[in-house]
Formats: sequence, structure tokens, C-alpha cells
Amino acid sequence: MIEALQFEFMRNAIIAGCFASLICGVIGTFVVVNRLVFLAGGIAHASYGGIGLAFFFGIPYMLGTLGFSLLAAMIMTAVALKSKHRADTFIGIIWAVGMATGIILLDKTPGYNVNLMSYLFGSILAVPNSDLWWMLGLSIITVLSAAFLYRDLLAISYDDEFARLRGVSVNLIYFLFIGLIAVSIVIIIRVVGLILVIALLTIPPYIAEKYSRSLFMMMALSSILAVLFNLTGLMLAYTYNLTSGATIILVAAAGFFLSMGMDALLKKKQVDIE
Amino acid sequence: MNEPVIQVENLSFSYNGNPVLIDVSFSINEKEFVALIGPNGGGKTTLIKLLIGILKPRKGQIRIMGKTPDQVTGQIGYVPQDISINKSFPISVMDVVLMGRLPFNRWTGLSKKDTEAALAALKSMDMLDMRHRKIDDLSGGQRERAFIARALATDPKILFLDEPTANIDSRGRGELYGILKELNKTKTIVVVSHDTMVLSSYVTAVACVNKDVHYHDDAEITEEMLEMGYHQCPVEIIAHGIPHRILKTHGK
Repeated sequence: MIEALQFEFMRNAIIAGCFASLICGVIGTFVVVNRLVFLAGGIAHASYGGIGLAFFFGIPYMLGTLGFSLLAAMIMTAVALKSKHRADTFIGIIWAVGMATGIILLDKTPGYNVNLMSYLFGSILAVPNSDLWWMLGLSIITVLSAAFLYRDLLAISYDDEFARLRGVSVNLIYFLFIGLIAVSIVIIIRVVGLILVIALLTIPPYIAEKYSRSLFMMMALSSILAVLFNLTGLMLAYTYNLTSGATIILVAAAGFFLSMGMDALLKKKQVDIE
Repeated sequence: MNEPVIQVENLSFSYNGNPVLIDVSFSINEKEFVALIGPNGGGKTTLIKLLIGILKPRKGQIRIMGKTPDQVTGQIGYVPQDISINKSFPISVMDVVLMGRLPFNRWTGLSKKDTEAALAALKSMDMLDMRHRKIDDLSGGQRERAFIARALATDPKILFLDEPTANIDSRGRGELYGILKELNKTKTIVVVSHDTMVLSSYVTAVACVNKDVHYHDDAEITEEMLEMGYHQCPVEIIAHGIPHRILKTHGK
């Protein structure tokens, strides 16, 4: 494993994994406590429409994808705020429409053939230096925004009605927050693929939630867990020559089931003692 | 004499065209201890949310100390129904109580004043030792006291509570009403509750809410009031320990 570090692609993969873990730890915590996993999945998939758009019209990738995902995210948020009980349906529709649009646009793009697989599972072993800078910038923005809005986000996540009563602009902060999710997802997808994004956004925070007494602790713990899953997955993928994204996800899933099993055992022990 | 701190005139409200409150008028004087009773779906929670300004009236007007609810949010303390809150959320008691001090300056964060006010509110609820605990680990009664502390963090003049005893055993209920009685020395209290029997020894007035509001400046909860408040659903009366003679009246 140590000798793998002499390759630039391996070093970049590790750095990219750490950045993605940090962003996912912070954003994923809010996604999980607000039960927005489906919405995050919707944004991630709908962003495929942005990729198609970018290739078809020949505009820069980041511009097309970011614009499209932000638009999709804002529509989903507006619907979610307006009619809470129908939100999942609308998210599902935008999810599907975004992907379908992307595929048709790529069909119609002359001479271009983007591999859907690389988009789904990413290519963490082929991260160019320029993407690392994007991720560094995004990590800084994410962490600073979360710190700046921490009390507001905590309040609207825990009890939005009370936050509203105390004069917090709940809707504005909600839109900002969803925008932040969209930007994070788009940039991380390029590196690790959309399935890994969703796995990293949900599994580490879910495990961390049970052991955390505060959101901050949950963010820190889920970032650490995500790094752990990433590095273990990378190491296994390198050693056994497996697809890196899928390996990382399976490692995270193993962590998830392990924590569930441990909880069940602990609970049983407690009952026995009593 | 005591001035009315809450004045409601010709208030109507509906959800998606279904009227919940119709042409309601009443006023509550300073330092009253008012119980809102009535059947589920009768509009108690809606009425409270209108009074604190979370919902806006369709018709009519609400004055809290002569102003609209939005203008006096610092004077209003609100303890929502326990069930409306996400239970597994990782948040400490202290952070919950600090929410009562929102909004904070985002550049400077929490001020010393905010922290001190939160600590004082916790202390008044006898919850100071619990402040680092996760809210999910508390008992129903402790959690309720934490929510009351949150409502008290701005030292409001009026305290609204929506079914504060729903998750508390009967001994805890008495304790909680004792705490409210103590707070009532300096504050007006409006509480939604089904504990009609326990309540009658604490309250100074009762409002029966069932699309309309009948306000009684009287601590005693009479058969007639229960009839008015609950007439649509006698089952509820059995469930909440009302004497049998009332049931007989219903049977006729």
C-alpha cells in the first residue's frame, strides 16, 4: 500500500477522498437530520441533465451542471416548502426528467459519448489536479457557510416553526442550504460519482447520529468515518484491483451494518443486565 | 385593575376551505391562567398558533398587549406539542434552550447575555445539571421543562403551552402544573390540555374551543362547559377520566 503513494493518481485519490468526506460530513449531517436524503438523491440524478446540456451546447461543464442542478434544487425546495406532503412525488419527477434530458441531449451531441458508468461511480483514481482545487475551494465555502449559519441551520432543522416564531428567515436559509447541497453534490459527483455521493452523504452521518450529542459532533464524527471508509475502500480496490467507487460504498455499507449489529448487541446486553 | 393582554375580535380561520375557527371573540386579562379545552380537531392548536403569530387570521384581528403578535415576539413564550419535534435529533438541552434567544448576530455568534439568559431559564426550571445531556435522553417531564426553559429565555410576559402534559405520568403532571402556577405569579399563561380534572385547581379561567370559543372567567370546569367543549366526541371524555355522571348526560 505504501508504495502506491508514489503514484500521483493515488495521492490525488486520497486527497479527493478526504475533501469529499469533509464536505459530505458537514452537508450530509444536515441532509440526514432534515430527512432530505431523497431530495439529495434527486439533485444528484437531475444534474445529469446539466451534463447533457453542457455537452450539447458546448458550454463549460461546471457552468451547465451547476446551473441545471441549482435550478432543479430550487424547484424541488419551492415545492417542498409549499406542499410538504407531495414533495416526494415532485422530487421523483424532476429526478427522472433530469436524467432523461441528459441522456437525450448526449444522444444528440455529435461525436460525443460520455460513459454513464463513470458518472454513476465516478473515477476517484483519475482526479486531475484542477479538480482538487475545485474541491479545496468548495470545502472552504461549505465549512465557512455551515459555521456562519450554524445556529440558524440548527434551529430550522430541529424546530422550524419555533425558529420562524423567533424571527429567523426560515425560507431564505432553507434555499441557501439546499443551494449549498446542490453545489456540493455537483462538484463531488465529478470526482466520485453520484452513487458514492449519496452513500457518503447518508451512511456516515447516520452512524454518527447515534453517538453524537450535538450537530457539530455529528459532523466531525461523520467526516472521520467517511475518511475511514474512503481510505479503506481505496486500499482494498488497489490491492485486489476492484472498481474503487463501488468498493468504497461496500466498505461504508459494511460499517453501517456493523454499527447496527453492535447496537442490537448492546441493547440485548442492557436488557440482560436489567 | 388588570388590563386585557390578549384581545381577539371576530377571528375566523380555515385550512383549505375547512373552517376551523368561526367568528371568535374573547379577551384574556393579565396574569390569568387560562385552560383551552375541547375535542381534538376543535381548533385549540390553531388558536394558539394564531395568537403567537405563526398562522395569520383569515378574518378578524388579534391584539397582544395592543399590538399584532409579530410586533411582540419577545413577549411571547411558546411551548409546542412534544410530538411535533424530531426525537432522535442530536442536540443538547443547552442548545435547545439557546434557540429561545434567536436570532443571533451571525458574525459575533452567541453573546454572553444569551448564554446567561439560557442558564437562568434552565435554573428556574431546575434543569441546570441536565444542560449537557442530549434532549432525547431526558424523560418526558424533563424534556417538557427544557422546552419551557426555551420559552422563558426571553423572559416573556405571556406563556403559551400546547398539551405540555401529553407525555408525562400523573405525578409529573401535578408537578408541571405547580411550576406553571409559580410562573403565573408574573406571567399570563394559556395552556391547551385535556387534564380537565387536575387543571381546575390551578386555572383562573377556561375557554372551550370547538370552532367557536366560549370563555369562562371562572376556575371551575362545569358539566355545561365540558358539554360545550366536547359534545362532538364523548369517547374522549371517558379517556380523560371525567366522572360518570357527565357520561350519563351524554347518553340521554
